[in-house]
Amino acid sequence: MELQSPSRALLEADNLTKRYEDGQLALDHVNFAVAAGEIYAMLGGNGAGKTTTINLFLNFIEPTEGEARVDGIVTHRDPLAAKKKLAYVSENVMLYPNFTALQNLDFFARLGGRTDYSKDAYRDVLLRVGLQEEAHGRRLKGFSKGMRQKCGIAIAILKDAPAILLDEPTSGLDPKAAYEFIGLLDSLRGEGKAILMSTHDIFRARDVANTIGIMNQGKLVMQRSKQDLAGEDLEKVYVEYMAGYMDRETETV
Amino acid sequence: MFRLIVEKELRETLGTTKFAVTFAVCAVLILLAFYVGARNYQVGRAEYEAARAENLKQMEGLTDWGRVDHRIFMPPQPLAALVSGVANDIGRTTEVETRGELRSENSRFNEDPMFAVFRFLDLEFLFGVVLSLFAILFAYDAINGEKERGTLRLSFANSIPRDRYILGKLVGAFLALAIPLLIPILIGCVLLPILGVPMDNGAWLRLGLVVLAGYLYLGVFLALSVFISAMTERSATSFLMLLVVWIVAVLIVPRASVLVAGRAVDVPSIDRINFDKSKFETQLWQEDRDKMMDWQEENSREGESGREFFERFQQYTQELGEERNQRISEYTARLNEERRNRESVQQRVALGIARISPTAVFTLATTNLAGTSLSLKHQYQAESATYQKIYSDFIKEKTGRTNSGMVIRLGGEEEEELDPIDPYELPDFSFAGPQTADVTAAALPDLGLLVLFNVVFFAGAFVSFLKYDVR
Amino acid sequence: MFATLVEKELKSILLSPKFVATFAVCTVLILLSVFVGIREYKASIAEYETASQLSEQAVRSATSWWGVSPRVFRKPNPMQIFSAGVNNDIGRLSDISTWTDVKLRQSSYSDNTLFALFRFIDFAFIVQLVLSLFAILFTYDAINGERESGTLKLSFSNAVPRGTFVLSKFVGAWLGLTIPLLIPILLAVLLAMVMGVPMTGVEWSKLAMLIGVSVLYFTFFVMLGLLVSSLTKRSATSFLVLLVIWVCLVLIIPRAATMAAGQLVEVPSVAEVESQKDRFRTDRWDAFGKRRSEAWRERMAGAEGMSQDDRRDFMDNNREKWAQEDDESRQLMEQEIAENSRVVDEELRNRKAEQEQVAFRLARMSPASAYQLAATNLAGTNTSLKARYEDAMKAYRTAYAAFIADKRAEEQRKAREESSRNRSGMRITFGGGGDSPVDSSEMPRFEEPDQSFASALEPSLADLGLLGAFTVLCFAGAFIAFLRYDVR
Repeated sequence: MELQSPSRALLEADNLTKRYEDGQLALDHVNFAVAAGEIYAMLGGNGAGKTTTINLFLNFIEPTEGEARVDGIVTHRDPLAAKKKLAYVSENVMLYPNFTALQNLDFFARLGGRTDYSKDAYRDVLLRVGLQEEAHGRRLKGFSKGMRQKCGIAIAILKDAPAILLDEPTSGLDPKAAYEFIGLLDSLRGEGKAILMSTHDIFRARDVANTIGIMNQGKLVMQRSKQDLAGEDLEKVYVEYMAGYMDRETETV
Repeated sequence: MFRLIVEKELRETLGTTKFAVTFAVCAVLILLAFYVGARNYQVGRAEYEAARAENLKQMEGLTDWGRVDHRIFMPPQPLAALVSGVANDIGRTTEVETRGELRSENSRFNEDPMFAVFRFLDLEFLFGVVLSLFAILFAYDAINGEKERGTLRLSFANSIPRDRYILGKLVGAFLALAIPLLIPILIGCVLLPILGVPMDNGAWLRLGLVVLAGYLYLGVFLALSVFISAMTERSATSFLMLLVVWIVAVLIVPRASVLVAGRAVDVPSIDRINFDKSKFETQLWQEDRDKMMDWQEENSREGESGREFFERFQQYTQELGEERNQRISEYTARLNEERRNRESVQQRVALGIARISPTAVFTLATTNLAGTSLSLKHQYQAESATYQKIYSDFIKEKTGRTNSGMVIRLGGEEEEELDPIDPYELPDFSFAGPQTADVTAAALPDLGLLVLFNVVFFAGAFVSFLKYDVR
Repeated sequence: MFATLVEKELKSILLSPKFVATFAVCTVLILLSVFVGIREYKASIAEYETASQLSEQAVRSATSWWGVSPRVFRKPNPMQIFSAGVNNDIGRLSDISTWTDVKLRQSSYSDNTLFALFRFIDFAFIVQLVLSLFAILFTYDAINGERESGTLKLSFSNAVPRGTFVLSKFVGAWLGLTIPLLIPILLAVLLAMVMGVPMTGVEWSKLAMLIGVSVLYFTFFVMLGLLVSSLTKRSATSFLVLLVIWVCLVLIIPRAATMAAGQLVEVPSVAEVESQKDRFRTDRWDAFGKRRSEAWRERMAGAEGMSQDDRRDFMDNNREKWAQEDDESRQLMEQEIAENSRVVDEELRNRKAEQEQVAFRLARMSPASAYQLAATNLAGTNTSLKARYEDAMKAYRTAYAAFIADKRAEEQRKAREESSRNRSGMRITFGGGGDSPVDSSEMPRFEEPDQSFASALEPSLADLGLLGAFTVLCFAGAFIAFLRYDVR
């Protein structure tokens, strides 16, 4: 299933395969590409390989086979160059508990090579992600999961990288915040970012993503564009694919 | 980038309650160590002066230099206030005789066993035991803690070289501990001269090196903590490991290695040597006694007056005595030399093994620098022995005899009026103490070893972090 | 219910990975300390025996009582294996002579300075520092750790009374930590038996008591851990708090207290005391010298105007009497000197005792010092060891002085008889004695001061009580704190 995209691909998985030391095949020849101005949503159960994919893009682990490319740069060849073009929001953002939101932002922005921001810029971004003004100067220690998540997203925005990796970004957010977050993603897409997100949230994925991939046991079992899925019940498709894959799996065994 | 990480590390450490509490505890303790150390020095100095003056005063009114009871004392070492070493364990008072072996007695702990029960809280103890524990407390989760918080992932989503990161962490952690500690240390240093501890340039240099050794030692524990934290996944694991390492390195290895290795080398006991010496002396004396008897038989001339006979006899005993003393001192010197050789072998073995613990290395370096190492005893003995010669020459000049033979007084009852002696004519003994150049040279290998520990642990941390799974 | 909770507590301790590591470390350290202690004890016993033999030999080979100067040694005590106390810091021996005071000198640390550098490692040291630290390590998150992991909430969603829960925590933690510790301790005791340490029944009971005190001390830290854990929300906080408390209690307070007492209570220095004694002694000797000169003048006055021969006869007739007079006068003076020395010493000792009392009172703010004091008291290696031996040696010196005075008088008489027998020729004798060695079998022997179980226990009772009180206090505090604990 080749994806026809009008602009160049910023995030590419090319036969991406990862087998851990213990022999477990976490990712099995996965291929996809995310172009600038596109959102790619990975769906799948726990242990399907979503986080492994993101880890490979971040070069936290090395691929067993194939490669992950960021703007044409192979991540495990030149990780530092690749990471310059990446922003990342982890699942369950923790950050430094003894730093204030602003301090955390400042540290990570500068770590990402952005030394030109003023305090006001930080405040603006925090407001943009929906963190109340009064919380900006407070230490992260007392923050709720959702507030921390917002800081993590702010950090990713501040880096202003062409590609963004999101690992379960809405997991800690309340429905209103999650809704706002989707709006945010949309505007980021509008700025021409390539966004790869893993999520459990089928409905939001359907709302926002240009392309949806379903993963199961390390394989990309389905990949369809939004238009392609237009008339279908994604939940049903998801369950079908998961079940069907299981069946096939049991058959081959 | 490097600066950014250092800066973050500093801010992260300095802003915590953990830091505030430990810093407050350390600051109070360091100031206490300086203050009480300086006070102890003052008291010790006053006692020393009093003892010296008292000794001279007691001689006033004596008329015979042969009857003076002269004592010399070891003055307190200025830096012993901060690094007590063995200064409290060795004898401080020496009764000077014109001949024979000198023996120093009255060690502080022997006189006041109360202080021996818990010992002192000095700068060396603070660094060696307390600060090393705090260093672990600050760095045990340097790497795996960041991982647990997810910040390691987030940081490495940026293009950061790992070597830069780990170096930044270590430097940041070190500065966060070292700079605040400088404040109480500097205040303490100012206190020293104010409280009357005489500090010359050499002493300042040595104190500076002691502090440097302290910082190197802190560095060892920080690097080790970072190392272990880069080898383990969970901070609870690394803390437990570090605590065990700390217990073993700080509390167990120095003591156990010296006790076990020290006993492996056989050193003849002092009692045995003393016995051999006195046996030899008795034997010689017996021989000489027989010779004297024979001499009397052979040399009693008819018609000689008692006085003439005595004079000749005294001359003879004098000669015999000198020869005997010569032999005794040669024999003693040989025994002592042998014992000292054995002792130095024992020392080399025991301390060599103890040096696997950075704490032992640190203790050896600082006691050397402060002049309270094992060599203090030998140095004091050597200087007393030199003084003994001067003293003996002095007494000989004053009395015309060496106290070596027998003192035979004639004319028991006819007391002539003698002029009292002036005890202040006595040659002055002042223990020079360890020289800056010597002690620095002696401490250098240990300082080097501390640097080596730093390098090794840092390299370990570096290598394991390069392979660290940041996920 | 209670049993289930205790069982869970035991399992969570015994099955935790840190348990294996710490248990192994404790076992190795306890056995190492006892092993080293036994070796040191054996070395010092060997040293003591040779030294005593040599000293006896020296006495036996003396040919005159004037040349005898016995030296008595402090006998090593098997309990020092478990708690060395000040054993190595105070002198090992004293010369016994009629001229000088008894004074313990030549501590093993001053003779073998190498061993003073890092000091000793003994069972009490391991308990005091290492086991207390491990007690904290296992209990710091007993309550708040369960809150963090959410199990506390889950447990209390059942009908569990808080009292039962907290009690089961105490019992479980205590059993889980103490019982395993008894294994290496018993192994250590076994080691002592196997390596043939001669222990009397009294010493065994002292050792049992010492182990009991150690367990009590350990219990205190278990309770302290529970207390702090139930006072704080987060386990990271409670650990930091406990570590700081531990540093203060174990490392700081004991040392700081003695240092403070050193500043608070002034004690005259050795130099001052010696000079005071010396001054008195010289004064008395001067006075004695003057008295004697006067006496001689008077005696000679009696011989005024006599012829040479009469004079000699007069001298001969009176020699004995005069010598006796002089002797008596000298003895009187020596007694006075001894009495003065005693008074001065006692004064010094009182001052020191006062200082010590202040120091130890301050130090007892920390259970670690209370434990150490109790352990050294039980082992007989406390600061009073010096006084105990010096007293015994003084008593011996008195007995010895009486004995030697007799012997010397006898010898003198013989010499005088001899000299009056052959006074014709010019003869100089040396040291008065003959060639045959003296008969030393009649010499009084030094008896080591014996410390009964009761007398060792008595001074440590206060410390025991204190430890008990600290423990109960912590327990009560933890209990109350937990009753009001916010389980969310």
